[in-house]
Amino acid sequence: MVDKTIPIHADSNTDVTCRNIDKEERTLWRKVIDRIADHCRARSLFVLHYCTGCGAIELPPAITSRFDSERLGMQPMVSPRQADLLLITGYLSVKTLKRVILSYEQMQSPKYVIGFGSCTINGGMYWNSYATIKRLEAYIPVDLYIAGCMPRPEAVQQSFIKLMEQIDNGEANAWKDYYRNYDRYLAKQQALFGDEWHTHVDVVAEAEHYQLLTEQTTGQHTKLLEKFANQYAMHDFSTVQIPEEEKVE
Amino acid sequence: MSEQAIDKLSSVFREVPNVQFKQTHARRTEVKLRADTLPAILALLKGRSYIHLSAISCIDRPEFDEFELVYHIWSHEEKNLISAHIKIPKKPGEFVSVHDIYTPAAYFERDIHEMFGVKFEGAPNLKPFVLTEWQGPPPMLKSFDTEKYVQDTYDWLDYQPQWWKEVQEKGGGYAPEDRRAVIMED
Amino acid sequence: MEELKLSEILLEMVAMPLVAFIVGLFLVLMMRRVKAKIERRIGPPFFQPLYDIMKLYNKETQVSHGYMHDVAIMLLLGGYIASEIFLPVPHMHGLAVQGDLLTLMYLLMVPMLGMALGVGQCANPNASIGISRALSSMLAYDIPFVIVVAGAAIMYGTTNLVEIVEIQQTTEWGLFSMPILALAGLMSMHAMLGKEPFEIYVAPSEIATGPMVEMNGKYMGALFVMQCFQLYTIGALYTVLFLGGGVAWLTFLPKIFLVIFIPVAITNLYGRYRTDDAIRWLWKYPTGIALIGLAVVMFK
Repeated sequence: MVDKTIPIHADSNTDVTCRNIDKEERTLWRKVIDRIADHCRARSLFVLHYCTGCGAIELPPAITSRFDSERLGMQPMVSPRQADLLLITGYLSVKTLKRVILSYEQMQSPKYVIGFGSCTINGGMYWNSYATIKRLEAYIPVDLYIAGCMPRPEAVQQSFIKLMEQIDNGEANAWKDYYRNYDRYLAKQQALFGDEWHTHVDVVAEAEHYQLLTEQTTGQHTKLLEKFANQYAMHDFSTVQIPEEEKVE
Repeated sequence: MSEQAIDKLSSVFREVPNVQFKQTHARRTEVKLRADTLPAILALLKGRSYIHLSAISCIDRPEFDEFELVYHIWSHEEKNLISAHIKIPKKPGEFVSVHDIYTPAAYFERDIHEMFGVKFEGAPNLKPFVLTEWQGPPPMLKSFDTEKYVQDTYDWLDYQPQWWKEVQEKGGGYAPEDRRAVIMED
Repeated sequence: MEELKLSEILLEMVAMPLVAFIVGLFLVLMMRRVKAKIERRIGPPFFQPLYDIMKLYNKETQVSHGYMHDVAIMLLLGGYIASEIFLPVPHMHGLAVQGDLLTLMYLLMVPMLGMALGVGQCANPNASIGISRALSSMLAYDIPFVIVVAGAAIMYGTTNLVEIVEIQQTTEWGLFSMPILALAGLMSMHAMLGKEPFEIYVAPSEIATGPMVEMNGKYMGALFVMQCFQLYTIGALYTVLFLGGGVAWLTFLPKIFLVIFIPVAITNLYGRYRTDDAIRWLWKYPTGIALIGLAVVMFK
């Protein structure tokens, strides 16, 4: 249990147990801006061109000429900094999961994750393998799953359309869940990778910035991160080696 | 061609004691040796056109308490694959590396070290490269119960759908124990 | 010299970049649709460039790499916005009479400088490699471009863009009076747009889009906006120099679209030259053709 009380910066209407902010409480201006922003976000998704596992083979047909995804507005981007959508297409070995978490945390919000195939849902074909993970949503928050082994490009595109509908309705908020429940995700990640595992990204500070800090964001696992904090203290920008994250609103 | 291969090889093998060899198929020769004579055989065969090391395999034999290592080498000229089998005891679990004879052996030995725990003296690098986050016993040993490990380490989605219940009510479901496939214990 | 009215200038300073942006959005759409048609698929929907830019500006996280990074992005956009004022379009001449062709050319080099400064701040080696390649290819394509512009100025006897347009409207187009220079201009314009085979500085799979690798949010939105401006400015400059400019938007716009259509259509058929191959090619063929054209012009 935490010793200190964490001041909750979230708005008074935030219910920490559900994933959606109560829509009725926003001002009209805010609602109009959000609606326009969601409309544009849904119609211009940049897919990170990195697919794990067996399903990587289903992505090229979905993007190229036959089942054109550019008419849905999606285009592949090569760096996690530029992408909105991360596709986890198939099994994730423990080694790859580390890199996927690093990529996910480098992506900029709002970001979406789609899990393809049964391996991300409940282990799939490799359910009794010691090296693959069984449930993706224990480690990073997931918006949408597609059943299949592997789903065909038509199914993949249907999932893209479903994700676009969810974004249009303002329901695709799984990225906020990462900030609200970071301690739980970190617990699961450290159970796999060891107690010393941490990333360069200061998730707790970001959660504070987005006003998504809750009681479940910090806990005994995030306390372990404090001993690494001075490695990433603020440098002179002329000598920075690791890009520091600065939030510019 | 297989007779010529065997003839050539028999002259080679007669230089080394305690060798049994047999031509099992058209391009496959099986050779069983003692562990300490293996580097000599490999060096001799490499001089006689067997320049390509295809793989090194390891088989866990818990009932004899030893590992069986198999070295597969291929000759482009004779188009023949020789599989040299040796047995090493599990207790020290060590063997000498053939990296100086065949350079690709380094990676196969690194893989076997990671998966079975066999230590190769003289191998340049035995750090794990596939299971870099692994903290348990070598996973390919038959004594490692992978299903138990999975049940302990990972958690599952609780999934009890209606259609499955209906199937079970009608008498379907998982196959009974005696009809499931039995994994070879050998 | 025309008289300058302050109110008119202020109005044009807002209207000309705005028009450039809107036309640029259509040019980007045309570029993507042409690529799609060549690949036998449907392209993006009509408002796609606008959706991209608006989505990028609505990102909730903006990762900055320092003060220079922020300022450099403004330099990038500012270079193009400033150059719109000096490019005469139908009914709006802006400062094209006071500033001339050489000012415009000078301003066209500022965006690349801005990108270099900003990208150098990102600690990513892909970005540094990309920007060094970009500057090398800029060295390559600027040589034939400068020769072409100088030849055009000699041909018309003036560097005032408004007078150049008037001369072409009364006599024949620059395309017919100096065809060799127009051809060299087309080649160097293709390289300036950064299209295949001169796409080395972006190189999506090779160096993870080079300079754009660390950019997202507002920064990438600014780069997308820069792309709109870049297509428009270069197309309009070529039109003004060689295709007679335009006295009405109805004649001006199709010329710009045609001029941009040519590199965009042939870009999909090529792979990508390496940097040294690109420099070698650009210093051989367009430069050679431009020098021949310059000689023809000087001895006319």
